[in-house]
Amino acid sequence: MLESGTKGLCIAAANEPARQLGVTEGLAFADARARAPGLVTEDMDPAADARALAALGNWMIRFAPLVALDGTDGLILETTGCDHLYGGEPAMLETLSGLLERNAIPHRLGLAGTPGAASALSRAAPGTCLPEGGEQTGLSGLPVAALRLSPEAETLLRRFGLTRIGQLYGIDRKALGRRFQSRSAADAVLLRLDQALGLRHEPLAPLRPLPLRSVRLNCPEPIATSDAIRIGLERLTQELCEALSATGIGARRFLLTAFKSDGTRSELETRAARPVREPKHILRLFRERIDTIDPGFGIDLLLLEAHRTDAMETSPMALSGDLASTDMDATALSALADRVMARLGGRSVTLIRPCESHVPERAEQHTQFDGDAPVPAVPSPVAGPRPIRLLSAPERVTVMAEVPDGPPLRFIWRRVPRTVTRADGPERIAPEWWTHIAAPQPAPALDGQARTWLTPKMDPRADAAQIAHVRADLEALLDTPSEPVKLLPRARDYYRVEDAAGRRYWLFREGLYGDGRGGPPEWYVHGLFA
Amino acid sequence: MALNPPPLKDVFHLSPPRDRPSPAFPLGLGEAGVHEVCEASHGDFAALTGFALAARTRSNGPVVWIRQASLKQAHGTLLRAGCREVTADLPPSLDITPRKLAEALWATEEAIRSGVAALVVAELEDADFTASRRLALAASRHGVPVLLLMPHTRDGATAANARWRLSPRPSSPNRFDPHAPGALRWKAVLERSRQAPHMAGHAFDLELDDETLSLRVVSGLATDPAETRPPRSQDRIGPAGFRQSA
Repeated sequence: MLESGTKGLCIAAANEPARQLGVTEGLAFADARARAPGLVTEDMDPAADARALAALGNWMIRFAPLVALDGTDGLILETTGCDHLYGGEPAMLETLSGLLERNAIPHRLGLAGTPGAASALSRAAPGTCLPEGGEQTGLSGLPVAALRLSPEAETLLRRFGLTRIGQLYGIDRKALGRRFQSRSAADAVLLRLDQALGLRHEPLAPLRPLPLRSVRLNCPEPIATSDAIRIGLERLTQELCEALSATGIGARRFLLTAFKSDGTRSELETRAARPVREPKHILRLFRERIDTIDPGFGIDLLLLEAHRTDAMETSPMALSGDLASTDMDATALSALADRVMARLGGRSVTLIRPCESHVPERAEQHTQFDGDAPVPAVPSPVAGPRPIRLLSAPERVTVMAEVPDGPPLRFIWRRVPRTVTRADGPERIAPEWWTHIAAPQPAPALDGQARTWLTPKMDPRADAAQIAHVRADLEALLDTPSEPVKLLPRARDYYRVEDAAGRRYWLFREGLYGDGRGGPPEWYVHGLFA
Repeated sequence: MALNPPPLKDVFHLSPPRDRPSPAFPLGLGEAGVHEVCEASHGDFAALTGFALAARTRSNGPVVWIRQASLKQAHGTLLRAGCREVTADLPPSLDITPRKLAEALWATEEAIRSGVAALVVAELEDADFTASRRLALAASRHGVPVLLLMPHTRDGATAANARWRLSPRPSSPNRFDPHAPGALRWKAVLERSRQAPHMAGHAFDLELDDETLSLRVVSGLATDPAETRPPRSQDRIGPAGFRQSA
C-alpha cells in the first residue's frame, strides 16, 4: 500500500511476502521497486480503512458492550464482566481469535488490566493474557514502540538506548523529561507509560453510545425465519422490560441488532415519544418492520438495547373515565403516535404549537410529536377574521382591483375566474423586519478560497421548523450573497371576499403602491373561509 | 410487573355511553358512528370543514385529525384561529399526515381502535365499501365518533351512518356593512342515512349564528344583499310648506 509522504511516494503497509524481500513501511517507493521489481501496489485509502474498522468494531459489540477505537488500526474491548460467558479470559481470547479467523480477518490480540497494556501486548506480544496487576512485569520485556508513541519520541528513546519498556521504570521521571526537546513530548511518553501501568486512568470513547440495559439471545442454531426472529424478539423484550421495571425506568429508543453467521449484522431501531417499558407496545413497534431483517445464512445472536432511558411517569389511574381529571390519556395518545410514526415515518405525526407572530403561517406551527400532550387552542388576541383552512403557501392570483387599496373585484385563482360580490377589509399585517435582516457579505478567506458551510447537524426530533429555518438561512447565505436587499419584506393587506357561488376567500396584496420595495404589489390567495 | 394503565376507554363508565344518536338535525354527526361529509363541487372543502366542526356534538377529549397529503396540498390545513368562527371550543388535536390512501385508512382505524380520541376526523380521497365497513365496525365497537371529510368525487356505496353533501351559499346580509359578507350559510343535503332513511335526499339550509355559534335550520333564505334604507325625506328639517314646494 502506498501513501504520499514528504519525500514522495512511500510504502505505508506491506504484507508478509513483501517484507521478506526487504520492503518495509516507510521505504520510498523507488527503493521498494528496486528491491522487488514485481511489487504489486495500491494507493492507501484511509477513509475506507476507518469505515472497515468501525464496521468491525460494531460487530465486536457481540462480545462486549463497550468497544472503542485504538488509533487507526486497533480496537479496544472492555471485557469486564463478559469473560465468564466464554469461560474465562484465555478462553475468551481463543473464541475471539477463532471467530476472526473464520472470517479471514488477520488479527493480533492481547488482554490486560489496562487499555494501554492490552494495546502494547497486542502490538508486541500477540496472544498474551496478563493477569490483573501483572502489567509491570509483563510489559518490561516489550519494545518501547508498543507504547503508542509518536515516531519522533520513539527515535529519541532509541538514541538514548532505551529500547525496552522495563528500562523506563527505573529512570527518574524528571531526568527523562529533561532529555526531550519539548515538555509535551516528554509528557506524552510518561502519560503512555502511566496509562499502560494503570497509574493513570485512560477514558475510552465508545464507538457507539453505551446502552443502559441490554439483553442478548445466543441461538444454538442459526435462525433464518421471520417467525423465529419474532419469537426471539418476544423473549428479549420480555427480559428487557423486566430489567427496566425492576429499576423503575423506561426507554425511548430500542435497538435490535442481529448478528449473522456470515459476519455481517443488521440493525432495526424504534423510537417512542415517551419512556415506555411495555413489551406489547415495543413489540408492536418492531412488528411493522421485522421483515426488513434479512437473515442471510442465519442469525446466531440477537441483541436488544435500551437507549435514552428515563424515569417513567407513574400516576394513579382514574377509576373511571368519567372521574378522570382530564379527558386526555397522554400515555395512550403517545402510544398511538409511536405506532403511526413507526409505520409512516417520524414526520407524519405533528402537533400545533402556537407561536407569537402576527404572520398567519407562522402563528401556528406544526411541530413533530415528541411526547408532550397537545394543548387546547388558546384564544389569541388577533382581532381580524381568520380562515378555517390555510393554504400551505400563498398562491399567486391575477386580480382586477381598485388602485391603490381597494378590494379585488374579479380574480383568477387556479385558472378559474371568480367574481367578487362582497368584500371586507383590509387588515394590514406588517412584516417582521427582524427576521429579514440582510445577509452579511461572506468575507473572502485569506487563502482566497470560498468557504463552504456545513449542513447543521441537529437531532431530527428537534423543532422541525427551527431546522428548516436555519437551513433556509444558510442556503440564503450561499445562494444570494450579492443582492440581499432585494428581498426586503413588504406589508400585507388582507381582504375577506365572497364570490358569486358563495365561496369565501382570504386574499392579500403584498406591498403597497410606491413603498419602494420592488415593483407593483402582487395578489395572493392565502386561505379559505368556511 | 408494573405496566402502563389501560386506556381510559376500557375502564367502566358511570354513565353508559349514548349509542343511539339523537333523531334531530345532525342525526348523530360527531356523536356516534361514521359520518361522511363530501364536497358538492370542487372547492367546497373549507365549507364542509366548517360545517363538520359547527354541527358536531361537543366533546372535550382530544381529536385525532388525519389528513391525506394530497388533500392538504389542494385545500390547505386547518387553522385553529379560524375555527373560532364556527365553534366555541376546539379541543386539542393530534395531526397525522399520511401520503397514501391505504396508509390514511390504516391510521384512521388505528386511531379509532386506540380508544384515546374523543373524535376522529379523517380527510380521505376515497374509501371503498370494505374500508368504510371496517371503519364503521371499529367505530361502533370502540364507541368513537368518526367524521370522514371527502372530495366531490366521492360516490357509490358506503357503510357509513350518513353521507352529507355540502356546498356553501352566499352569506346572510351584514347588518353593519352591506358590502361585507355576513353570517355563514351552507346547504347540506343528506344523501344517505341509516338512522333516518326517510330523510334521504332532504336538503337543509343552514345558517351559523355568529354570536352563539349555533346552527340554525332555516327555510327560504334571502340571498340578496340587504335592501338599503330609502331616503327618509320626511325627516328633513324645515317648514312643511317648504317641503311641499320642493
